[in-house]
Amino acid sequence: MNGQYASLLIALPLISAFFVPLIKGLGKKAVKYYLVAITALQTGIAAWVFQQVYTSGEPIIVMAGGWKPPVGINLYIGHFAALFVLIVAAVSFMMAVFSIRAVEVEPIDKYAMLFLLLMLGATGMIATGDLFNLFVFMEITSITAYALTAYNKTGEAAEASMKYIILGGIGSSFFLIGVALIYGATGTLNMAHLAQLAGAIDPTVAQVGLALIVFGLAVEAELFPLNAWAPDAYQAAPHPITAMFSAFVVKAGLYAMARLLYIMQAAESWSSVLKMLVIMATLTVFVAEFAALRQRNVKRMIAYSSIAQIGLIALAFALGTQAGVDAGVFHMVNHAIVKALLFLAIGHVAVTLGGTSLEHFEGLGKRMPLTAFAITVGAVAAVGIPLFNVFWSKLRILLATLGAGYTWAAALVLIASVVEAVYYFRLIHTMWFAGEGGRIGEGVAVSVILLVLVALVIVIGVYPDYAWSIAQKAGSDIFNVAQYVKNVPLMGVGA
Amino acid sequence: MISVYYFGAITLILIGLYAVLVKKNLLKILIGLSIMETGVNLLLVSVGYVAGKSAPILSEGIGPAQAVDPIPQALVLTAIVIGVATTAMALSVAIILHEKYGTLNVEEIRRLRG
Repeated sequence: MNGQYASLLIALPLISAFFVPLIKGLGKKAVKYYLVAITALQTGIAAWVFQQVYTSGEPIIVMAGGWKPPVGINLYIGHFAALFVLIVAAVSFMMAVFSIRAVEVEPIDKYAMLFLLLMLGATGMIATGDLFNLFVFMEITSITAYALTAYNKTGEAAEASMKYIILGGIGSSFFLIGVALIYGATGTLNMAHLAQLAGAIDPTVAQVGLALIVFGLAVEAELFPLNAWAPDAYQAAPHPITAMFSAFVVKAGLYAMARLLYIMQAAESWSSVLKMLVIMATLTVFVAEFAALRQRNVKRMIAYSSIAQIGLIALAFALGTQAGVDAGVFHMVNHAIVKALLFLAIGHVAVTLGGTSLEHFEGLGKRMPLTAFAITVGAVAAVGIPLFNVFWSKLRILLATLGAGYTWAAALVLIASVVEAVYYFRLIHTMWFAGEGGRIGEGVAVSVILLVLVALVIVIGVYPDYAWSIAQKAGSDIFNVAQYVKNVPLMGVGA
Repeated sequence: MISVYYFGAITLILIGLYAVLVKKNLLKILIGLSIMETGVNLLLVSVGYVAGKSAPILSEGIGPAQAVDPIPQALVLTAIVIGVATTAMALSVAIILHEKYGTLNVEEIRRLRG
């Protein structure tokens, strides 16, 4: 089949979001099942794209309107994008199933629309090959994220959303200034064309532009000075949305950051921006892990843990070596699985028992054994115990960090991992060895999803080689810019 | 010498940033955000300005050679709409905040902590 059909990845959620008000006439249940059907279809398309890209080894380039880049906008679905589009779609599907039980606040039609647009925005951010198009998709993602954070209509939700809006507004303004500077210096917005011209930019302009772009994306990607919104938003948002934030919205921001960094690697002042990012990422890991230690609300605790893991990924991307980028991609995949599992299970507990403070988790092992088991696997995996998936990616990130010569960063990250173990084992202890209670029904659909995710965690943990080979291919998609430029059929304009 | 447009745009951005960082009233912060967005848009448009050229509309006597760079104008058009959408979203959240907390002082809106 023609690769141009991959544009359905963008078109399908957009069109189906517009049809939600029509479906609403059929009743509230219909909207929820419609959401499940569309996300299932999206997963199917994403799986087809994934299979196409990984069997042929060639990226799919979608050209908007038949204009060749850099005149038209192109989507670049290489190894990385194919992998993450699949993850975005699969996580969305799972959360759509979870939403049937978890979301009871009216109005459901707006929820469904925003849900689809959030999926659209993340997919677009990952697939696009154009700088300004990236900005537009980033804004689609963040505006839907603002709205979904405030969806519960409590004071806390509005407060969290407001913090997010203000920081996100500053971030997107900075991003746009960076785009203006880089456009002013090169006269192009296409990433492949930009990579060709990057070497010739005035180093100061490149440095300031790139730093502003990294700074702007750091709001979406939750890096240290700009992540104050994240734990609030995670705590106050509806439970399925929290899982989506952690599993792919942040990843999209991180990926965009990594892609732009490596596109510009020919610029002279490149390494100073990388050094800034290493410091930001290490501080993110360190601060977030210590903040998680003193949380009494479990959802907020996992939110801080999620931020710390993101810092680890950013550290891997900022090393500027092939090994680091591969390890970062591997950790992105593993973290998406583990955090989807954890937030799903914790959301499930909150929906069933009515809260996420630590007291609600007492005796969970006796009341909801399957969910407690899923949380335990997720927690043990997140700490990085051997035979679970995160162990392999954390190990690779540490090795890559040492390989790049940042011993202090590796040491700080290791210390933070010890702290992480402390609060996760406290949670496990509370679930299994404290409190009493009778069994509560756990719901078939959510249990099946939890078991699938647990199986993924353990299978990747025991047989990491296949997942690692995929991560390596996806990593070289980001790192190997020469190949990226060669893959995009640039028209002979300008330089 | 720095062009007056660049200077003005950067000044607007800094004024907006100042308002966001210093003001305590939520609405003033949102005004600051809007000013900042305006500054960014002005910067984008001035990047595409070519001295002595006219608007990029093909009509009698004006060919492609006499036009300023049209791309930043398309970018700004998009960015303005996005800015308005963000502002509308923020204002509706501000209304909910005022309903639930009875104040718009950002120092008193502090239920989530830790």
